[in-house]
Amino acid sequence: MFEKIYSLLLRLYPSSFREKYGDEALQLFRDRVRDETGSWPSVRLWFDLLLDLAVSLPQEYLYLRPELVGARPLRSANGVPSFCFLESEPLRPAALLFGGLMSSMAILTFSILLSHPGRHAGTAAATVGQIDGESRISQSQSQQSDSSNTESEPNRRELGAIARMDAAERRRVVNSAATILGKYYVEPENGQRMAEALVAHEKRGDDDGGTNGTAFAALLTRQIREVNRDRHVTVEYSEAVLPERPVGPTAEEMTRYREMMKEQNCTFEDVRVHADNIGYLKLNSFPDVSVCRETAEQAIASVNEASAIIFDLRENRGGDPAMVMLVAAYLFDHPEYMYNPRENTTEQNWTHSPVPGSKLADKPVYILTSPSTFSAAEHFCYDLKMLRRALIVGETTAGAAHSGVWHRIDDHFGVGVPEKKAINPFSTADWAEVGVEPDVKVNADEALKVAEELANKKLRQK
Amino acid sequence: MPKRKLDPLPSSAFQILLALAGEDLHGYGIMRQVAEQTEGRMRLGPGTLYSSIQTLLEAKLIEELEEREEREGESSSGARRRYYRLTGAGRKLARSEAERLADLLRVARAKKILRGDYV
Repeated sequence: MFEKIYSLLLRLYPSSFREKYGDEALQLFRDRVRDETGSWPSVRLWFDLLLDLAVSLPQEYLYLRPELVGARPLRSANGVPSFCFLESEPLRPAALLFGGLMSSMAILTFSILLSHPGRHAGTAAATVGQIDGESRISQSQSQQSDSSNTESEPNRRELGAIARMDAAERRRVVNSAATILGKYYVEPENGQRMAEALVAHEKRGDDDGGTNGTAFAALLTRQIREVNRDRHVTVEYSEAVLPERPVGPTAEEMTRYREMMKEQNCTFEDVRVHADNIGYLKLNSFPDVSVCRETAEQAIASVNEASAIIFDLRENRGGDPAMVMLVAAYLFDHPEYMYNPRENTTEQNWTHSPVPGSKLADKPVYILTSPSTFSAAEHFCYDLKMLRRALIVGETTAGAAHSGVWHRIDDHFGVGVPEKKAINPFSTADWAEVGVEPDVKVNADEALKVAEELANKKLRQK
Repeated sequence: MPKRKLDPLPSSAFQILLALAGEDLHGYGIMRQVAEQTEGRMRLGPGTLYSSIQTLLEAKLIEELEEREEREGESSSGARRRYYRLTGAGRKLARSEAERLADLLRVARAKKILRGDYV
């Protein structure tokens, strides 16, 4: 057993050494093991061996090195270079296996790094679809993801072509983006400045080398925001071919949506009153008011008698701002302004409070969040947090505001441009890209437990 | 094979030369002899031992003998072993190294670092 270990250790030596002295070294080891019995001598033996290994191994390899340097690298016959072997024996299978493993790890790491050039806003947006009556980024992207599911094959090929962008294509994208910004941005002066900055960067050659669509889009977005810190302006790149013009949902799609909502109870996954009279609503989207008004009203009515309310939005993927307003209305005894970066500030931004019969206006409200809490759900969280009407418990939300109107540049590039100005009474920043920070930061998995504890504590204080 | 350094003479190499001054020995024999003459302070491990032997062989300070059975009286495992012998050059080097050390010792004693009258 020990001999086996030592013979394995011997393999660490260069082959020239092993060849010549391997057997003798092993013999010496055997002799010592045989002669030095007892616990202390055998401990000393291994100490000696390891020390010896540490000292002599580097030495042996050091002796090998001058050989490397001294060897003539090209001993070519008729100008054909030939390989020189450092080791005189064939490679061991273990060495080949190890080498193979290391190479595949290196290749894998490289390919992973290649496909993750950095965090960009598009990723989150592209993964989750959203129902939104108008032609907003989120909607067109949900359609992208749909189309990329069904026709991924041709799109992949398309990607191969677009991934290697050249200067002409970059210039085209930059010029189109600049034109759109100058024409549509909500503040014309700033729009012009952003457009000029983009073109100037391109002329200076700052964009050279941008051959990866996603990274190039992120670069342009950064250049725009250097001029004007508006997080709602984005240049986006899509692997899948973007639809010619963003189309609203067809009648067929609406029918399917209605059926789906009926099946899923309008995404009110769970509505009940827990022990201690705490109302619990797990809502997985803010569904279209025209389809789900009744279901939503019934759901809220069923927790009307509760002493506290927990909204579980940890899996809420967003939806209709009107539904946000409808639900929020129950929580106030007077009309309240709900800021929404997607809309011009109008009467629509005021809740229709008080809601007749609602007993929830003065009840403590808790909202559970996670990194999957998305878009309209963040709208709900942000305003209720800013109004100090609810305590947010869980993790920071996704950060999807998408207030821009989507402008298609070509099959793969587009710009989101805010064309409306909403008044944010709370802060200059909203949740775009940064998400809504919870008041109580806990793991999303534990958020319900923590919120229940907080609610119970609060109710006992009364 | 490049020349390994023997200047200054590493103590392990010097001990091996001294061990072989009395008789021809195989690797394990050298190791035991070195341990004995240093009162157990230096126990050469296989790596250091054979690396030193290699160096000394290259410098022709020792030579390799034909493999043979162990002599009687040695711990016998019945294996054939390679024996090593000090060459004339090796003996000369060992002597000059010993003299150098003796000189050092004289200096040390003059400086009152060492007491006593040996050497």
